Amino acid sequence: MPPLLKILIMRLGLGVLTLLLVSLVVFAATQALPGDAAKAILGKDSADTERYEALRKQLRLDRPLVEQYTNWLGGVVRGDLGRSLVGAGANVTDLIGARVVNSAILVLLAALVSIPISILLGALSAIWRDSKFDNAVNMTNLSLASLPEFVIGILLVLVFATAVFKWLPSVSNVNSLLPLAGQMKLFVLPVITLALAVIPYVSRMLRASTVEVLESEYVMMARLKGVSEPRVLWHHALPNAIVPTIQVIAINIAWLAGGIVTVEYLFTFPGVGAGLVDAVANRDMPVVQALVLLMAAIYVLLNLMADIFTILISPRLRTGLR
Amino acid sequence: MSDKGSGSQPGYLTRNMTRRDLLKGAAAVVVGATFGPMIAGCGGSETTTTTAGGVGAVKMGGHLRVAAGAGSAKEDLNIHGPALTPPSMAMRFNMYDSLLEFDHAGVLGVALAEMLDPNADGTQFTVRLKSDLVFHDGSAVNADAVVYSFNRILDPDNPGLAAKQLRGLTPNGIVKVDDLTVRFELEVANAIFPEALSAYSAGIVPVGYDPKAGDGAIGTGPFMLAKPGDFQPGIQAVLVKNPNYWRRDGGPYVDQLSIIEFADTTAQLNALLGGAADYCQMIAGAQREIATGAGFSLLEAKTGSWIPFTMNCMAKPFDDVRVRQAFRLIVDRPEMIAQAADGLQWVGNDMYAPFDAGYPADLPQREQDLEKAKSLLKEAGQEDLTIKLTTSTSVSSGAPAAATVFAQQAKGAGVTVQVDEVTGDVFWGDEYLKYPFAMDNWGTRGYLAQAGFGSLPGAIYNETHYGEISPKYVSLVEEAFGTVDDAKRNELIKEAATLEHEEGGYIVYGFDMQVDAHAANVQGAMPDFSGLASAAGGSRYRLVSLA
Repeated sequence: MPPLLKILIMRLGLGVLTLLLVSLVVFAATQALPGDAAKAILGKDSADTERYEALRKQLRLDRPLVEQYTNWLGGVVRGDLGRSLVGAGANVTDLIGARVVNSAILVLLAALVSIPISILLGALSAIWRDSKFDNAVNMTNLSLASLPEFVIGILLVLVFATAVFKWLPSVSNVNSLLPLAGQMKLFVLPVITLALAVIPYVSRMLRASTVEVLESEYVMMARLKGVSEPRVLWHHALPNAIVPTIQVIAINIAWLAGGIVTVEYLFTFPGVGAGLVDAVANRDMPVVQALVLLMAAIYVLLNLMADIFTILISPRLRTGLR
Repeated sequence: MSDKGSGSQPGYLTRNMTRRDLLKGAAAVVVGATFGPMIAGCGGSETTTTTAGGVGAVKMGGHLRVAAGAGSAKEDLNIHGPALTPPSMAMRFNMYDSLLEFDHAGVLGVALAEMLDPNADGTQFTVRLKSDLVFHDGSAVNADAVVYSFNRILDPDNPGLAAKQLRGLTPNGIVKVDDLTVRFELEVANAIFPEALSAYSAGIVPVGYDPKAGDGAIGTGPFMLAKPGDFQPGIQAVLVKNPNYWRRDGGPYVDQLSIIEFADTTAQLNALLGGAADYCQMIAGAQREIATGAGFSLLEAKTGSWIPFTMNCMAKPFDDVRVRQAFRLIVDRPEMIAQAADGLQWVGNDMYAPFDAGYPADLPQREQDLEKAKSLLKEAGQEDLTIKLTTSTSVSSGAPAAATVFAQQAKGAGVTVQVDEVTGDVFWGDEYLKYPFAMDNWGTRGYLAQAGFGSLPGAIYNETHYGEISPKYVSLVEEAFGTVDDAKRNELIKEAATLEHEEGGYIVYGFDMQVDAHAANVQGAMPDFSGLASAAGGSRYRLVSLA
């Protein structure tokens, strides 16, 4: 078996184990929280014990905990994520399907916008180290990194949607019943907000590693050989500088997948983040489990991909496998 | 502050007119010497409303987009269950009707019923339906549908929200007389039975009704779902005009009505400011200036909703009436309303149901009197009292602020109040109804309906347990429930309310003002006394048009 495949299989196995543990922790956590779905649904009305007990029975919350968990797990293994405990008890897959698609598009767009910009800014800052450009980028990055993304989002709404200009929609309530193509305008502000949250980390990381590489002996050697400066940068320095950055990018995309909660809430974007907040408030265990597992799976997969990618593009690791 | 804006508001917002008119309307149904039937356009009043410009001036068509707060995936459109969120309440009000209905001014009249005929002692109520009414699916609104609807509400395995209010009614007491007539035979006299028939959760639905999300959500209301998928819980509902709508007084005017849901109030207002919505339900006090500053109009309604402090009369130290009285004297009500509610409340007098005809409006307004409070506490041996006050934003967004203001004001009487703010699950958890000192949130109700929910022993939401320590109070309320004579019942209510005012466990410092904001081209929205989900006519958007 090729060594890379072996690593892949081992890591995937570990990933599945991780997900199982996550599901156990989430289940335990939802049980540890005070109240249950019936109470969360009824609120004050749970004082009406007749209705409360009827609802508990209907939701099968009166069953033993182990039975509840194994029932759910058995369903997941068969590919059935179960039914939501609230509302009309819709199939979880149907319930979160549109949200997953919406969030995936949002994360993808944010990654597509932020990663090239980050690489460009990081590389240019490294080349023009300590120039006015570098200082300006640094200052901006530091200020952006110190602002929580919901503050950035609110400022963007004020400037571009409500108080100053009315160029862009202030809320991004994407309608999954309509084609997405006509609704791309709704993505603009959330994507910018997320991009502004990611760019500082990635570009600073890339700047630091590029600076290090540019001072290394093999770059000096290349320069002494008379290789042109763009070629030194793009062919010799960046491919090596980008290795540590890949991990940062992976973590940031994973953060995007899980950390869009506040941004989705702010823009009323119907994605997994907003869905998760609502499901937790409702103690809707099957939906919480599905969404948390999805986010955890993305985390595991992205980290795995980053590791594989790192091995493939760094010569030392690649040859070490043989 | 209680008169704020009343100059520009219709007269019914003044306390004296509202519930008296209502009870006059109800009197024709329930009680009074003549005890005659309520007939559309005759004894009772058809609940109709006319827009200012008249029907001819109203522009037809368009798409009204309403932004509603606190949406969640937990909501559904089952009219007999509780509306768990303001958006789902707004959807229901526009999709369903009940037999009777309070209009925006608080006058009870007929809706799907053509006539309501009570017997002499308030144990039988005969309802005749208007003829030729149809549901959204084209099926007929008939006695079978009414019988099915009330049986569904009374289902012991899954009781509807209105079940407790329909005091005295059992499935055996729902009798079909003919195709359009149903007789309700009660086991006990229930003077406020017509009020219960008017509840939104007593909506009339077709036989076999059992909606799953948007599927099967069929009523008689002015708007309906074109297809089940148009209702997305927690996200939005897109409703279309009901072409067979039964009221002939105008409306629905817009072709399409979207109720768009928001989890966050800032995003909700931003939708209005940014042009993604035309109408924004229930904005916060501080948002009023933002909305008017940006050129939007406000709709203010004075409601009977209240957020009381609840003192448990069975728990120390509130088992001593002097402590309860002292605590009521601690509150500087106007100050609390200004600080904790941004002025979005009007002053209360430690009694609920301010629009009830029996409300003792002539009792002097209770005011802060720290010296007297101190001396009462001293008498009770409770100087330097320290007490925990449990509150939650899930009671009301402003409840923790009011609790903090109370804690500050209590210092003046030497009382240390520790505000304990908890999450909703904790607040409504096992300790709810046992807290010595907490808060709660109630909607607009008549006195007896409210007492049945909150003050009688065995009431579902018995927070103060006042009924359990005052047999006199209980007998007054019970007697009122069985008293069909209007004047006599109102006297009993007045006496019961006065007792609660003197020694009960509620501190009712104020009632809510509800404020909506809307674009200048939105016309015909009327303020409503109920305060349900919106300032506008229980969020009924039938008579709203877009200029």
